[in-house]
Amino acid sequence: MDNKSIFINICGIAMKNPVMVASGTFGFGQEYAGFYDINLLGAIVTKGLTFEPKAGNPPPRICETPAGMLNSIGLENPGVEDFIAKEWPHLSRLSIPVIANIDGDTVDDYHKMARRLSSLEGLAALEVNISCPNVEKGGMAFGQDPESAAEVIKAVREGTDLPVIAKLSPNVTSIQKIAEAAVSAGADAISLINTLLGMAIDINKKRPVFHRTFAGLSGPAVKPVALRMVWEVYEAVKVPVIGMGGITTWQDAVEFILAGASAVAVGTGNFLDPLAPIKIIEGLKKYTAAQGVRDIGELIGSAHLFTGVKSRFK
Amino acid sequence: MSLFCGHAKIKDNIEIAPGIYHMVLNCPEVAEDAAPGQFIHIRCTDALSPLLRRPISIAMADKKEGTVEVIYRVVGQGTRLLAGKKKGQMLDIMGPLGHGFPIPPWVKHPVIVGGGIGTAPLLFLAESIREHKLSSAGSPELSGCEDIMKTGNSCGKPAKEFIGTVFVGFLTEKEIFGAELLKDCGFKVEICTDDGSRGYKGFPTDLLEMYLNDGPSPSSGKVSPAIDIIYACGPSPLLSKVASMASRAKIPAYVSLEERMACGVGACLGCAVKSADGGYMKICKDGPVFEVSQVTDL
Ligand SMILES: Cc1cc2nc3c(=O)[nH]c(=O)nc-3n(C[C@H](O)[C@H](O)[C@H](O)COP(=O)(O)OP(=O)(O)OC[C@H]3O[C@@H](n4cnc5c(N)ncnc54)[C@H](O)[C@@H]3O)c2cc1C
Ligand SMILES: Cc1cc2nc3c(=O)[nH]c(=O)nc-3n(C[C@H](O)[C@H](O)[C@H](O)COP(=O)(O)O)c2cc1C
Ligand code: FES
Repeated sequence: MDNKSIFINICGIAMKNPVMVASGTFGFGQEYAGFYDINLLGAIVTKGLTFEPKAGNPPPRICETPAGMLNSIGLENPGVEDFIAKEWPHLSRLSIPVIANIDGDTVDDYHKMARRLSSLEGLAALEVNISCPNVEKGGMAFGQDPESAAEVIKAVREGTDLPVIAKLSPNVTSIQKIAEAAVSAGADAISLINTLLGMAIDINKKRPVFHRTFAGLSGPAVKPVALRMVWEVYEAVKVPVIGMGGITTWQDAVEFILAGASAVAVGTGNFLDPLAPIKIIEGLKKYTAAQGVRDIGELIGSAHLFTGVKSRFK
Repeated sequence: MSLFCGHAKIKDNIEIAPGIYHMVLNCPEVAEDAAPGQFIHIRCTDALSPLLRRPISIAMADKKEGTVEVIYRVVGQGTRLLAGKKKGQMLDIMGPLGHGFPIPPWVKHPVIVGGGIGTAPLLFLAESIREHKLSSAGSPELSGCEDIMKTGNSCGKPAKEFIGTVFVGFLTEKEIFGAELLKDCGFKVEICTDDGSRGYKGFPTDLLEMYLNDGPSPSSGKVSPAIDIIYACGPSPLLSKVASMASRAKIPAYVSLEERMACGVGACLGCAVKSADGGYMKICKDGPVFEVSQVTDL
């Protein structure tokens, strides 16, 4: 079976396979380049960037949970100018799409980021993080209300011609309302989920493990929630969905695709096995071949056909 | 740069002291590139809990044999799973990771300070210092220390030269490991235990302090050169004492730090330690070994 079978194009981002790496779990790409040729990936999403550099939260920043982990990194990043000077040169030499994940304290920050990054030749898209649970200002707060979500996406839209991907928070009552708001404000695609808000308590110190009390849960523990939300968003909007949350195997990836994801991202899975994205790509190739599928696009959302709920194509 | 990520065969996994295990892995790829102070990142189970890998320091690496050895203490789920692994089974590891202990060419009198399980990476360090010193002294052939657990002449011929001084502390006599290897590497080894069951009753930093104040004990006969570098690994109170003594004495000192890790390669920014010039460094990538002046909050 030729590689075309798993080729996918999401709002103009052409990927030779639908497997990306999730923001914040892959640095700026170089950390994993010692393990395999990262040009084999479908796309890379950078660590979340802010206009000014951010030091991040004091340790501890991570805590293991059953089949998952909590993180409170706090968006540590070098700031957009340093990114352009030090990271973009090597990223721009990759043969695969590179997507910049952006975050801001204010709506204006997002706009400024969008404008600044749009000047980079070769950048594939902007993923707008309105879902970070680990910062004082902005972040998740924008993604918890349809109006503010729309305001941020609109500000980014006005600052760029690049495809705009809205990255949603699962910490909401109706993910569909947020997705609809983001799309009507101009989002070309939706990615989800960011981490689920959680916490841990140190029973010896009798206080929360993290300085900010709450932290973001990721990994296999969140997969069923992520899958359900991808399913819901697929039914609510017409733009492509990028699914993530607990994907560690190709079988997980197939589930997300059948639920409605046009592409998937591996996050925490990289930590268990640096080669996980590559194994997932191989698994998808074998699966599509075994299923007699000529184009992986045929599989996207196809599980919806077996439920009483109407597919968006009906 | 190529990093190993795959399965290594377990050649041995034995309990050398209550709750402390010595594992020998067959992994030429890691053995070839390993430097003292670096670590391997171990997946303790194929299941999803415990989810994350566990970082364990390389206690010895033998390029010729293609083996990598670790010494670990059972403290929780992950290390308990490791302890249950049998000879002949495969272990999922990645590495060698991180930046280890530098061994500058000018070193005349290195001092190694170890506490408990923290002594593990210092064994590889001691052997590497010995190799460096002897090879720069023009010694023709050098055999590595074959087995870190053998007592007696594990290095074949013990080095006659004085290589350096070691202060190691353990909870109690039963937990002592590595002392013979350190001696065979040409180090003068001063042991202490918290309960006084062997050697000096107290902490290795007490001995270091006395040494720095009084100089080498006259009983040793000849006077060794002044201490020009200090290396330490152990619990954080030990590291902070070493750091303050070293900076008072104006001796460069390198310590190996610990923090919870996820990726182990610098990608997740999870293992942060405050840097002296603001911001955070990553223990897995910028360390785990740091010069004490690089980090604050020691
Ligand atoms: C670079 C590096 C090198 C290491 N080298 C060795 C080694 O050579 N030998 C060895 O025995 N151990 C070493 N460790 C520590 C080892 O990684 C932990 O003991 C191990 O991860 C514990 O896993 P667990 O599942 O058994 O315990 P868990 O159930 O995860 O934890 C058990 C207890 O240990 C504490 N703990 C676990 N990990 C750490 C940590 N990193 N820092 C502080 N407290 C912790 C927990 O808070 C808890 O109280 C090293 C750690 C690092 C970062
Ligand atoms: C350590 C860590 C750091 C993260 N940093 C970011 C970030 O900077 N921006 C962002 O949009 N998402 C960030 N995320 C969320 C992931 O991109 C992903 O949405 C989430 O972890 C769910 O996927 P997973 O279960 O596969 O990890 C981070 C996740 C982790 C675990
Ligand atoms: S463990 Fe991920 S950066 Fe160190």
